[in-house]
Amino acid sequence: MPIKILVTAKRVEDYESKIKVNAQGNGIVLEGLKYKINPFDEIGVEEALRLVAKHGGGEVVVASVGTKDVHEQLRHALAMGATRAIWVNHAGPLDQMTVAGCLQKLIEKEKPDLAILGKQAIDDDQNQVGQYLAEWLGWSQATFASKEESLESEAEKSKTPALQLSADAKTLTVIREVDGGLETLECSMPCVVTTDLRLNQPRYASLPGIMKAKSKPIEEHTPATLGVDATPKITVTKMEHPPARKAGIKVPDVATLMDKLKNEAKVI
Amino acid sequence: MANPLVSDRLIDFLLYEVLDAEALCALPAFSEHSRATFDPWLGACRRVAREVLWPTYRPMDLEPPRFEGGRVFVHPSMRTCWRELVGLGVLAASRPSSVGGQQLPLTVSTLSNVYLMAGNLSAYAYAGLTTGAAHLIEAFGDDAVKSSFLAAMYEGRWTGTMALTEPQAGSSLADVKSTATPTSGGRFLMKGSKIFISGGDQDVTENIVHLVLARIDGAPAGTRGISLFAVPKLRPSGEGLRANDVTIAGVIHKIGWKGLPSVALSLGDEGDCHGWLVGPANQGLKCMFQMMNEARLMVGANGAATASAAFHESLAYARERKQGRPLGSTDANAEPVALTEHPDVRRMLLRQKAIVEGSLALIGLTAQLADWSEHAEQAERRAEAKLLLDLLTPIAKTFPAEKGFEANALSLQLHGGYGYSSEYLPEAWLRDQKLNTIHEGTTTIQGLDLLGRKVIAGGGAALMALDGRVRDAVKRAQAAGFDAAPLERGMDELARVTGVLGARGASGDVLGMMGHSADFLELASTVAVGWAWVEVAARAVQNDDDFSRGLRQAASYWLATELPRAQHLARLCETNERSYLDVNEAWLD
Repeated sequence: MPIKILVTAKRVEDYESKIKVNAQGNGIVLEGLKYKINPFDEIGVEEALRLVAKHGGGEVVVASVGTKDVHEQLRHALAMGATRAIWVNHAGPLDQMTVAGCLQKLIEKEKPDLAILGKQAIDDDQNQVGQYLAEWLGWSQATFASKEESLESEAEKSKTPALQLSADAKTLTVIREVDGGLETLECSMPCVVTTDLRLNQPRYASLPGIMKAKSKPIEEHTPATLGVDATPKITVTKMEHPPARKAGIKVPDVATLMDKLKNEAKVI
Repeated sequence: MANPLVSDRLIDFLLYEVLDAEALCALPAFSEHSRATFDPWLGACRRVAREVLWPTYRPMDLEPPRFEGGRVFVHPSMRTCWRELVGLGVLAASRPSSVGGQQLPLTVSTLSNVYLMAGNLSAYAYAGLTTGAAHLIEAFGDDAVKSSFLAAMYEGRWTGTMALTEPQAGSSLADVKSTATPTSGGRFLMKGSKIFISGGDQDVTENIVHLVLARIDGAPAGTRGISLFAVPKLRPSGEGLRANDVTIAGVIHKIGWKGLPSVALSLGDEGDCHGWLVGPANQGLKCMFQMMNEARLMVGANGAATASAAFHESLAYARERKQGRPLGSTDANAEPVALTEHPDVRRMLLRQKAIVEGSLALIGLTAQLADWSEHAEQAERRAEAKLLLDLLTPIAKTFPAEKGFEANALSLQLHGGYGYSSEYLPEAWLRDQKLNTIHEGTTTIQGLDLLGRKVIAGGGAALMALDGRVRDAVKRAQAAGFDAAPLERGMDELARVTGVLGARGASGDVLGMMGHSADFLELASTVAVGWAWVEVAARAVQNDDDFSRGLRQAASYWLATELPRAQHLARLCETNERSYLDVNEAWLD
């Protein structure tokens, strides 16, 4: 049974870039930065492609919010194999409510069976959009989807999806990461899934895929045309680097160590 | 931070600033491309190189292929590497859409392949050889040959090799003895021995297609009697494949490129080895030169890649390792400083940078000429590019390999005692690099090719074309405020001495012309890399960031310390300095 899945492709700073706080102390220096698709989102794209392949076809629709620069990330997902893209054109600051609001409206329009998002983006590590989205849609949610086998396993090598969709496409079984290990949830469809790092190993975009992506459509919206108020509810007032770690010290004996842990560090 | 293998910023700068890769997209052949296809492709190659190939480099170096029961078994991780390389689309990337390719300019594919080579040169070589062999069939094969082999090769189901060398002949292809006897069905029965065949057997793909040089019965002696054949390990038979009487006589135990088996092949021991003629009879060597020239550029790119990975390793080490105190410091209690604080360490680093990045720039310029020579719209532009490409091929093959070996030695040296410990990587790259001065035509062969054929072709037209490019680059660099005068003087020497040697050759004094072919190759290489550096510097003058300063510094270093050697090398060629020419082998022990 063909299924339709909506996935996301947030544009984030490359994790290998050197991030510096700007002179005003309210953001980062953007000059010379490289950008990538949020790795958690890329895992979502991969999982969606596997699910669609396993279930006899369907559609993977990739969405992103931002300036035209996000086309680069949309094209990346299209080169991996996504069917088409939706771009919500917006310049200026974005918070999780605006993003979740835009995605909610897109989902109401597109009516996918499933939405797979990264659990968080590696730029601000918020980890909120998936949860807001599920709540506002009234859908079930499974966050931090993970995999039972290791990423070096045979199942992963043969690109088996970790998310298991029932034959009638009514329920989705999701293994998710929790503090003590893994738990398995059965969600009624439609639902929102957010991905953890150990869900899969995303494929690389191939050259034929890159060439095909050029002619795949990117549909344009704005928060206004979707009826979403993009006024940020959150403002960044100050940004700073964490304090530099102090050099360690050597203590002469265990008694001194205990004393320092108790009275200086106050950890025991 | 992990070893980047190759600098992304440098490759982007070379592609978009120095080589203006986007201008190529104006050519009809590349109209489907733009930076919007180049960038994601580069990104994918970078990731496959760093995430897939690089982690398998050391294991494949430590566990070379095994030869058991007449078959070769390669390192198991080669299967993953092959799957990802094929999936990426490297095999047909630069081939036309008519054969399932994506028509990527060679300028882009060559510089992106450098990452794959730096990640694991052996693993990449399976792909490079397959593309070269398939391209040969594409260019010269008839429909029967193409339909039998081409798709399987470009799709990565079968690999390809080049099988030229024979045990008794070595580099001397005129002495090839393998034979081909015509059969009534249009095929040939092959017989002979081949040696040092890279990728000659493996257990990764179901079949292998060897491109073999052999003589059809009754063919004339020498290179004029050599023909080219496709000889598969398994031949198509009905719906399936059957053994084609290609026996593996043994594997060579190599010091480097250990992930890629090199084998001795025996063809037709049972009289049942079928070959398909590729191209016209007795024109095999001419056809083969297409693959040989491509392979020479590939070896040059490998040389640059291998030196690049080692350079970045030693740079990270020198920044991190604290040792000793600055020259002149008398305070024994002062904190030790990073190795980079020592002038001689900086020499070793800047020299590596000059060799590695100069090689990459030269490789890029050469690949760009290959694109123009094939696809430029005006015939004169194509012809000029072809002349320069032919001239630069022996240089682009040799310089990165010979000087890359020196750079690899510096990387090892910089690691001190750890450098000669096999737990550290520089020794492995040093071993790998040594092969690059030998396979695909030794440095000696390249020197003879450059001086005996390339510089004198068309009455010196190629050298005049280079002269024009060099002077144009010098002019642009000078106008931008970069002192490129030493390059101009080097070019003067090269042009002058070529005239002298050419005249000697024309008057029949072959030894007087060719006695110092190796020095001539070095002279031409020093100038060519000087040209590459001036092209880079001419575009790096606008900015004042660390990256641009580093490029200017390396360019100045090359011009200040290497170009003055042009005069000395020219004198050796011109005077035909007699020491080794007159030495009697009996005096040597």
